[in-house]
This record gives sequence, C-alpha cells and structure tokens, in this order.
Amino acid sequence: MTDAALFQSIIASLPEIVVVTGACVLLILGQLVRKGQEHFLVSASVAVVLIAALATLLLASEVRPAYSGMFIADRFAVFFKLVFYLATILTFLLSRKYADIEGIASSEYYVLLLFALFGMMIMASATDLLSIYVGLELMVLCTYVLTGFLRRERRSNEAALKYVILGAVSTGIFLYGVSLIYGLTGTTQLNAMAQAVTGNPLDPGLLLAVVFIVAGLVFKVGAVPFHMWVPDVYEGAPTTITAFMSVGPKAAGFAVILRVFLNPLVAASDVWIIVAVIAVVTMALGSFVALVQDNFKRLLAYSSIAHAGFAIFGVVAGGQDGVASVMLYLLIYAFMNLGIFGAVIMMRNGDFSGEVINDYAGFAKSHPGLALLMLIYLFSLAGIPPTAGFFAKFYVLVALVERGFVVLAVIAVLLSAVAAYFYIRIVMVIYMREPERVFDPALTPMVRATLAFTALGTIGIGLFPAWFLGFAQQSAAGG
Amino acid sequence: MGFPLLSLILFTPAAGAAVLMFLRSDDAVRWTALVVTILDLALSIALLAGFDTTTHEMQFTETVPWVPALGITYALGVDGISALFVFLTALLGAVSVLASWVAIERKVKAFMVSLLAMQALMLGVFSALDLFLFYVCWEAMLIPMYLIIGVWGGEGRVYAAFKFFLYTLAGSLLFLIGVIALYFHGGETFDILALTARDLPFPVQAWLFFAFLIAFAVKVPMVPVHTWLPDAHVQAPTAGSIILAGVLLKMGAYGFLRFSLPMLPEASVYFSPLMLALSALAIVYGGLLALAQDDLKKLVAYSSISHMGFVTMGIFALNLRGLEGGILQMFNHGVTTGALFLFVGLIYERTHTRSIADYGGLMKVAPVYAVFLALFTLSSMALPGTNSFVGELLVLSGGFAANLAVGAAAVLGATLGAAYLLGMYRRVALGPASVSARFKIRDVNAREMVAILPLAVFVLWVGLYPKPFLDIIDVSVKHLLAEVHGEGSGQ
Repeated sequence: MTDAALFQSIIASLPEIVVVTGACVLLILGQLVRKGQEHFLVSASVAVVLIAALATLLLASEVRPAYSGMFIADRFAVFFKLVFYLATILTFLLSRKYADIEGIASSEYYVLLLFALFGMMIMASATDLLSIYVGLELMVLCTYVLTGFLRRERRSNEAALKYVILGAVSTGIFLYGVSLIYGLTGTTQLNAMAQAVTGNPLDPGLLLAVVFIVAGLVFKVGAVPFHMWVPDVYEGAPTTITAFMSVGPKAAGFAVILRVFLNPLVAASDVWIIVAVIAVVTMALGSFVALVQDNFKRLLAYSSIAHAGFAIFGVVAGGQDGVASVMLYLLIYAFMNLGIFGAVIMMRNGDFSGEVINDYAGFAKSHPGLALLMLIYLFSLAGIPPTAGFFAKFYVLVALVERGFVVLAVIAVLLSAVAAYFYIRIVMVIYMREPERVFDPALTPMVRATLAFTALGTIGIGLFPAWFLGFAQQSAAGG
Repeated sequence: MGFPLLSLILFTPAAGAAVLMFLRSDDAVRWTALVVTILDLALSIALLAGFDTTTHEMQFTETVPWVPALGITYALGVDGISALFVFLTALLGAVSVLASWVAIERKVKAFMVSLLAMQALMLGVFSALDLFLFYVCWEAMLIPMYLIIGVWGGEGRVYAAFKFFLYTLAGSLLFLIGVIALYFHGGETFDILALTARDLPFPVQAWLFFAFLIAFAVKVPMVPVHTWLPDAHVQAPTAGSIILAGVLLKMGAYGFLRFSLPMLPEASVYFSPLMLALSALAIVYGGLLALAQDDLKKLVAYSSISHMGFVTMGIFALNLRGLEGGILQMFNHGVTTGALFLFVGLIYERTHTRSIADYGGLMKVAPVYAVFLALFTLSSMALPGTNSFVGELLVLSGGFAANLAVGAAAVLGATLGAAYLLGMYRRVALGPASVSARFKIRDVNAREMVAILPLAVFVLWVGLYPKPFLDIIDVSVKHLLAEVHGEGSGQ
C-alpha cells in the first residue's frame, strides 16, 4: 500500500481510530480514577463517541474505499454507525446509576462498551469476509465479558458461559463458510466473490458455503434456529448491557447481513427462500413464546427475537426499499427498545428488581408521567400508530407487497397481532391493576434525559417520518 | 386552499387534551373539556352551515405533504356523507363529557384527555382524504379506547378491553395489507380520490374487498365477528359506550361507503347478496339476543347489532333509497343509541345495578326520566314521527327492492325490536314503584337535561322533517351510486 493510499485509508477510518484510541486512553485513565468520581468516565466515554460521530458526519460526503478493499466508508455505513452511537451513548447515560446500584465499580465496563462499539463500526464498514469476522469477534468478545459482569450473580455467570460457548460455535460455522468460499472462489472480498464464480452459481459447494455464512450471521441477530441463547443471556446480563445488546450488536448483525445477502453471489443462490422461512419462524416463535413470560427481561428478549424476524422480512423483500426498510426499522427499534429498557433499568432500585411484570401493577397511579412513557414505548413496539413502531412495520410491509410477497406480508401482520397481545398486557398491568407496593424509580438527570430523548424519537419519527425515511433510502442507495 | 376549518375542528380537541395535561383541579378539567367540545361542536355547525349541498365534490379540502417519498399527504376534505358524521362526532363528544361529569371519579384528567384524543382521531377518520392518514387515525383510536374501557370500566373491564383491542387490531392489520396493495395497484398513491378514479381488475377487487371486509365487519360489527361488542359495551363507562355505539360502530359502515363501494364497485355488486344475507342475519340474530337479556346495557348493546344490520343492509342494497336510508340510519343510531346508553348510565349512577328486574315504576319516582326514555325507546323501535322511522322505512324499501327474502327478514327483525324494547320499557318504567323504591332515585338534573335535550331534538327533527339531513347526503349518495353502477363515473 502506498503512503497516499494509507493516508486515505486512515481518513476513511478516522471515527474507528477515534473510538479505539479513546478506549485505550480511558483504559489507563480508568485505573487512576478514585471511587466516587466515576461520572468522569461516563462523560469522557460520551465525549469520545460524540467526537467519533462528528468525524463520521464530516466524512459522510463521499464514498471512501480503504485498506485494499477490506473496508469502506459509505452512506450505508454512516447510517449504521449513527445507530451504534445512539445506542452506545444512551447505554452510557443509563449505566451510571445502575452501576452504582449493582456495585459495578470498575472502569473496564465503559472501556469494553467502547471496544464493542469499535467492533460494530468495523462490521458496518467491512467489505471483506475477513474484516467482517474481525469486527464480529471484537464485538462479541466484549459482550461476552459484559454479560458476565455481575460476578457475584449466578445467573450472570451462567449467561456469559452459555453465550461464549454458543457464540464460539456460531463463529466456527461462519469461518467454515468463509473458508469454503475462499476455496471455491479464491477470494474473500464481497465484490470479487460474484465475479470469481465462473461456473454455475448454484454449485452445491457454494450453496453450502452460503448456508454456513447465513447460519453464523443469523446467530448474531438471534433469529431461529440460533436463538436459544437470547432469553438466558438477556435475562442474566446486567440490564444496561441487555439494552445495549438488543440494539447495537443486533443492528451490526443486520448491517453485515444486508451487505452479504445483497451480494450478487448470495442473491443468485435463491437463499431468500431460506431467509423467508427464517423470518416467519423467528417471528412466530418470538411472538408466541413471549406470551407466557412473566419476567420483563425475558419477555423483551423474545420480543427482540420477534422484531428481528420482522426486520428479516425486509431483507427478504430486498431491493432498495427492502434495505431501507430494514435500516429504518433498526433505527426506530433503537429508540423504542432503549426507551423501554431505560424504564426497566430505572425501576431497579434498592431491593426492587423491576424484572417481574406483575410488580408493575398500578404504576400508573403513583407515577403517571413515567407510566405514560412506558405506554408510548409499548404501543410503539406493538406497532400501533401514531408511534414510530407503526411506521417501521408499515415500511417493511410496503417493501414486501411491492415485491409481490403478499402472503408473507399477511403472515407478518397476523403475527404482529399476536405480539401486540403481550405488550398490551404490560400496559394492562401498569394501568388497570391496583398498586401493591411503593415505587421508587432511580431517576437521575441522565436517566431522565435518556427517557425523554427516546420518547421524543418514538413519537417524533412516528409523526414526521419523512426525513428519516429519506435518510434511510439515501443510505441504502449509497451502499 | 382557504381557511383550514377542518384542521381547526381536528386540532381543537387535540389541543384541548394538551391543555388538560397542565390543569390540576378536577373541576377545571371537566369545565375545560366541556368548553373544548362545545367549541368543536360550534365549529362543526359552521362546517354544515358553509356546506354546499349541490355538489358531490369534496369541500373544505386541505393538502399538505407529509411523507413525499411514499406519496403520503395530510389531506382533509368532506362530502355530504362525512360532513354528517363530523357533526355527529362533535355532538356526541360534548354529550360524552357531560355524561361522565360525576360518573368518572378517579383520574378525571386522564379520562378527559383520552376522550378528547378519541374525538380528534374520530374526526380524523371522517375527514381524511389520504388513505394513510385514515389508517393512522383509525388504528390510533385503539389506544385511548383501550384505556377508557380498561381503566374506567366495570368489573370485567380488563377482559373486555383486551378483546376489543385484539379483535379490532387483527381486523385492521389485514386492512393495512389491503391498503398497501391498493397503493401499488392504484399507481403508488394514497390519495383517496385518485384511488377511487382507478379501475381495478375484478380479481384484485375481489380479494381487496375481503381484506377490507374483515376490518370493517369487526368495527360495524357484523355477525359473526360481533362478540367483542357486548363485552366492550357492558364494561365501558357511559361515555365510552356512547362513543362506541354513536361513532365507532359507524366507522365500519363509513369504510364501506368510502372505500369498498367506490373503489371496488364490481366486487361490491358481486358480493352484495352475501352482505345482504349477513345483514339480515345480524338483524334477526341481534334482535333475538336482545330479547333474552336482563342486563339493560347488554340489551341496548345487542340491539345495536340488530340496528347496524339495517345500516349494512341499506348500504348493500346498492340503490338510492337503501343507501340514503342506511346513512341516515347511521346518524339516527348514533343519536338514539347514544341517548339510550346515556339513560342506562344515569340510572346506573343512581342504583348501581343494571338488571332490569331491579327496576320498575320509574314513571312514578322519576317522571321526566321515564318520559324521555319513552321517546328514545320509541325512536329505537322506529315509531313514525321519530328519526329511525324515516331511516328504517328507506332501508326496508331499498332492501325489498334488492331482495325479497332479505327485506322480509328485516321486517321480522323490526318486529323483534318492538318486542324487546316495549318489554324493556314496561319492566323499567311502568308497574308498581315498589322495587325501585328501595333506591333513592332523583329525577334528571339540569346538567343531565343539557345532555339529553339536543339528542331529543334530533330524534324529533329528523323524524318530522328529515329533508335537511337528506339534502346534505343526497348529491354525494347519487354520485356514489353512479360510481358503483358505472354510470357517469368518468367525470
């Protein structure tokens, strides 16, 4: 690589460099911070992400390929990076008080989140199966550790262990697919893959390779049949990390899926039939199993499986609208899901875990404002207008019907009627039951800011979706 | 685009709901809600006053781009049919606030906010000229209505609220797919008027008709998807029942008028025998169920199923009399059944029982109540001189013209109506006062009279001189018919 090319590559990956440098500096500084001064870590971490966001926006004007085809900074990547920044910053804001309550004092918590962010950013920009792998592993390694962060809790340890083992298996499957691709086509670059196939693109070997890669990626977004880790890991991890995982890494997984699946090689192999089946089964399983959950975090885990299923419908639709619909869905999902998780995190105070749904009985009586926020997030997750969740689903359905997948669209809406049931059930508990306890939410200014911001997004995108839709469509076109 | 009167009508209750959030005392909340709804009613009267009855064109139109990338606009406008329902919604809005004045004791603010939000959304449904906007309003109503039933309802409110929510949601979601499919078949637009002008091939029309039918039939409700209605009505607070019966049920029928008939004319004609048969079934079956009830509110709820059967029968008779009768009957049912639910609520507030067996001799203890109840009962059974007589006569004559057997079934249903309504009135108001004497029943007070009187006026006004009401809808209905039967639809 010449000096000029290296310089260009460094410019293109400036946001990543900012994040990783910031994380390293914080790692050292974190050891010097005295007890009671942890808010410094939060502000510093947020500042790092904000600088990275600024760099991303400044560089967004043109498409910048970098590192000899391993990496690209395009609009598609910019969109996803903004979603990651959003998820990370809000997680930081939610974490401060929660970390105190749970007794998480170490600075590594924040550093690991920054490293996970770094991994996600690589995933969004990766254009080579190997750089995808590097980003993926960096991200999941951090989340493995974060999942087990409540060292004294058995649940947390178990979740981390489960996550590591299953994650390693899925990584192995993914790598096996990559090696097959390399053996058959002689390249791992996404763009070169399709051109390298001289013979029949439906060669059984290639098909097998694609299936392995699909399986590896599907694990990361928690879709059936690789969803089994989701409920346990979501339940066991610290709630702030659960919130983060349900939004950031999931969006990163989708970023890769979109890049890989829309690759001509994969698109030619009729893989969409598999994907359609995955979408239907994922949504059905997530929705039906969520019906019987009593634990809020588990319910949200199944709900996130169901939402992943809905977003995969957008992948099935394909085309510019399909891609844009997935992206818009993830953005909106980030707002509403971080909102509802913010509410659950806020409830964790003293001896109150905030994890049992029935414990929320009568919450609307004592805290009408907070209850209203929860109502907004829940109706948005259920996809009821005028909230953003409705528009997210609407646009996926538009993409489906446009491509002629009317039957899939009908299945999708019927399953979302099932899903609506359990969100509405929580509203029922909050609004229609008598309170059994006194609520003392851990409301810090940071948590307040998070809740207000996510609510603003959930309502605002619902009422004025035009700008966000345009942003998603342009970003999809630039990918 | 002139003065945005329709937007003003829509946003008055919405702004009112926002203002309520900042009020502290319950009385201030009640008075503000009342002032807002009365202001809204005045605006809707201004709308009718400025309405041009000589054209079927949409009036008071407004268009603002909303999501240009998908061709979604914020487009409003009314023709004769929707203008009538905008007025009905505003009227019942004010009545509902009055009806919940003392009936709602807890969380008054939240209740009034829900009520005003409901009103804004219902007005949105009746004045939307963009399919997406229509759908958003149609579906968003689930949230306040779910809360109204579930938080302020009776004993079984949670179950009833759930059932209401899931039935309507499941129905509406298929409608959503239909809407999106229509968007692509109709040239990628959500403009209702542009979609109406399109000629779709029959197979497309046929399946869209069923996608729409499920949503509208649940809302009407038609047999066999009616079972959410008695639960919802019985458990809902009085204002909720008034809104449900008065406006919400009209939306299904309005959907047929605004979408099924003009956009899918061939399918509407083709499936009209099926729709007529379902209507006849609803009339007779609803009547029989009402006959068997001892709970006053359930009786009125089941009678609604029967009465809405008349409405759908009128619509799918697909002739002038049937359609005009059906639409007038929608209005009448809103007034009359709204009033009956109000009366059930009044007596329930005083006695805390709804069992008909617990009443008797109200004529002696509460004569004013009993007299007005008689008026609305007679109106409900379509006695000449009352509003429903005019509507039902038109529907019957349209129904007989369409199909003899269906008309005959409707007559049977009307007879059943007389049986259960007269029976109800006899057991509630007449006879010895011994049973109801154990409750200390006050007669209606001034505030309640204010809610009752306008409804009574409309019962007699439409009954004795229906011409102004028929004039409002006449041109629009003729145009609608022309569209269905393909005459002069090229304009």
